[in-house]
Amino acid sequence: MKETKKTLKSHKMKAIRSNLIGYSFILPNLIGYAIFVFIPVIFSFVLSVMKWDGSRTPMEFVGLSNFVQIFNDRIFVQSFFHTIQYALLTVLPTLVLALLLAVLLNHKLKGIAVFRTALYFPYIASIVAVGAVWNMLFQPDFGPINEFLRFIGISKPPRWVVDVKWAMVAISIVSVWKYMGYYMIVYLAALQGISGSLYEAAGIDGANGFQKLRYITIPMLTPTTFFVLIMLTIQCFKVFDLVYVMTGGGPGNATKTLVNYIYEKAFTSWEFGPASAGALVLFSVVLVVTLIQFAGEKKWSKDLM
Amino acid sequence: MKLKRVLAMMLAAGMVCTSLTACGGSKTAETSAADSTEKTETTKSDEKATSTGEKKVLSVTTWDYDTSPTFQTVVDAYMAKHPDVEINVIDTSADEYNNSLGISLSAAQPDPDVIWVKDMGSMLQMADKKQLLPLDDFMKKDNFDLSIYNGAAEQLQYNDATYGLPYRSDWYILYYNKDLFDAAGVPYPSNDMTWDEYYDLAAKMTSGEGSAKVYGGHNHTWQALVSNWAVQDGKHTVVEKDYSFLKPWYEQAVALQDNGYIQDFSTLKTANIHYSSVFKNQQCAMMPMGSWFIATMIQSQASDETSFNWGIARIPHPADTEAGYTVGALTPVGISAYTDEPDLSWDFVKFATSEEAANILAEQGVFTGIQTEESLKTIASAQFFPEGDSNVEALTYTHYIFDRPLDPKITEIKTVLEEVHEMIMIKQYTVDQGIEELNKRVAEIKGW
Repeated sequence: MKETKKTLKSHKMKAIRSNLIGYSFILPNLIGYAIFVFIPVIFSFVLSVMKWDGSRTPMEFVGLSNFVQIFNDRIFVQSFFHTIQYALLTVLPTLVLALLLAVLLNHKLKGIAVFRTALYFPYIASIVAVGAVWNMLFQPDFGPINEFLRFIGISKPPRWVVDVKWAMVAISIVSVWKYMGYYMIVYLAALQGISGSLYEAAGIDGANGFQKLRYITIPMLTPTTFFVLIMLTIQCFKVFDLVYVMTGGGPGNATKTLVNYIYEKAFTSWEFGPASAGALVLFSVVLVVTLIQFAGEKKWSKDLM
Repeated sequence: MKLKRVLAMMLAAGMVCTSLTACGGSKTAETSAADSTEKTETTKSDEKATSTGEKKVLSVTTWDYDTSPTFQTVVDAYMAKHPDVEINVIDTSADEYNNSLGISLSAAQPDPDVIWVKDMGSMLQMADKKQLLPLDDFMKKDNFDLSIYNGAAEQLQYNDATYGLPYRSDWYILYYNKDLFDAAGVPYPSNDMTWDEYYDLAAKMTSGEGSAKVYGGHNHTWQALVSNWAVQDGKHTVVEKDYSFLKPWYEQAVALQDNGYIQDFSTLKTANIHYSSVFKNQQCAMMPMGSWFIATMIQSQASDETSFNWGIARIPHPADTEAGYTVGALTPVGISAYTDEPDLSWDFVKFATSEEAANILAEQGVFTGIQTEESLKTIASAQFFPEGDSNVEALTYTHYIFDRPLDPKITEIKTVLEEVHEMIMIKQYTVDQGIEELNKRVAEIKGW
């Protein structure tokens, strides 16, 4: 009895110790995470019910009035819908193009790596440079895009970033171009995971290329597609940099998104309360999307087992 | 199992959090910094004393330090006069200046000590946040005489306190390209011209097609280049309940653009074209711009970047006023409330706004808060200043109207003004729609 108790205890000690060693390995990252992410996030929760201008003047508790204020602010509501508009314009095209490119580039061809790299490159390019260059391409009067459109017979091409109706489309086009390479890689990885025997069997049954894509590739990629969809949606809600560089939220406020609104409230008006309240709204949206993602993940991991 | 679920939840929270750092994170980083300043302040000043020996270090914030002689001149002059003081310049690009300054002040660090204020709106914001040291005590102690600024210093007072002294004073004048006028055989713009006459002259001076086109005038993308003329008579400001007074000025600006007498707003905006390149590349015959551009042109001519003949005239005036009304703004210099060198900072501010500095700056073509006949003469006799008495007369004015009022909400209102300006100039709004939007949104901001 005594013996077993002792071994049990030493087992426990061993476990604790190995756990501690494990924790010590993740500690550096955890500390960084706590200081730069976790504490600030908690702080922005606090700020959302405070009135504060970012100076040393003490904060003042104002309850939910920051939320009331932003929901009554037409500009906030508009920014919210602009964000949704941007997500709608960006998510699906990126997803479809990433999938198509992945399928096209999933062959053993000479020089395929060059194409893959070329398509991935926009993802790692500096967003400021990318935005500036695309702005020139979109230049309404002598930009190459409109020159081309006029060449193919469109006499009145859109004025892109200086047109309220087209500015968001222009930003979306750049986003799609920039991010499809990344998701293409995600899809490529998933494609490697599809067993070749499925295609062989389908080939024997006389399925053509399109049928293979429709009945094997796409269904087998569903979990990946779901993942990409969720990631893209979250990413779209967080959009800021591209808008800031390309239009600055203009013309007027036609492309002002949630984060642009938050940024302006915080760093132009120095109203951290409403800005944090806006951030919390964004947080809730992203949280909901993430929870959906987790539910989905669970479902597919069960299905696969 | 349970642990796993908890871990998953934590991860979920983590993912969401990470996704939010872009907006939530940066904000709070400053606060934690602010909390810790109390502790670091003492250690930091100790460090300063030991590491630099007896030399005292003063840090000042500036924008575009390398490209404009405005700050360099006075910083160098002060260091030459006080060899025991080292000035540490914290420079930011003009566009980012207010943001970056605001963030660094939130940290409540002992640096910077001296702050050059980019516009009056940001001075009010900083004063409201108690980030600027009121200068009144220093002034009382030194029996400082404000009258040398000719009333400009009083304009900077806010809530009965002085937060800054006028360092620079700028107002709008009309720049023109003499060579283009000579080639067209058109007389130069006069010092007494209405905006309607300016319009006709711009029409006359527009020529050429495509990339060789020379525009009669040039309006940079700032909304101030329309609203300034609307407030030039001193009867309105840009914070009003009813903005219909802007209507004729927007109509004229849109007409200039529609007729091709000035470059298209959207082109300037999308290609991010700076006004100085338009004038320096001789793409426009006339350009209304602030007097700060004189120093830029002098520098440009001196360095052989440009070599055409240019001139200046008084800014055109509305039909209901006489010549000599102009619109301008002051550039104040103040002291951070968190400075660890208040006395040295005050000494620097005093020097920067003194008559002595004014004369040094005048040699560079910079207009200061102190305007004397002598400084005017100095500027006019600078080597690359355009020749002719009319150019000297162009620097005089009878009425100086501030481009925007001292309103604590001015920065926010300015955002709205810029947005609506853009919408009108790219023709997404009619002038009337723009005015309606302005009335509505400014009323929301002001709580009217």
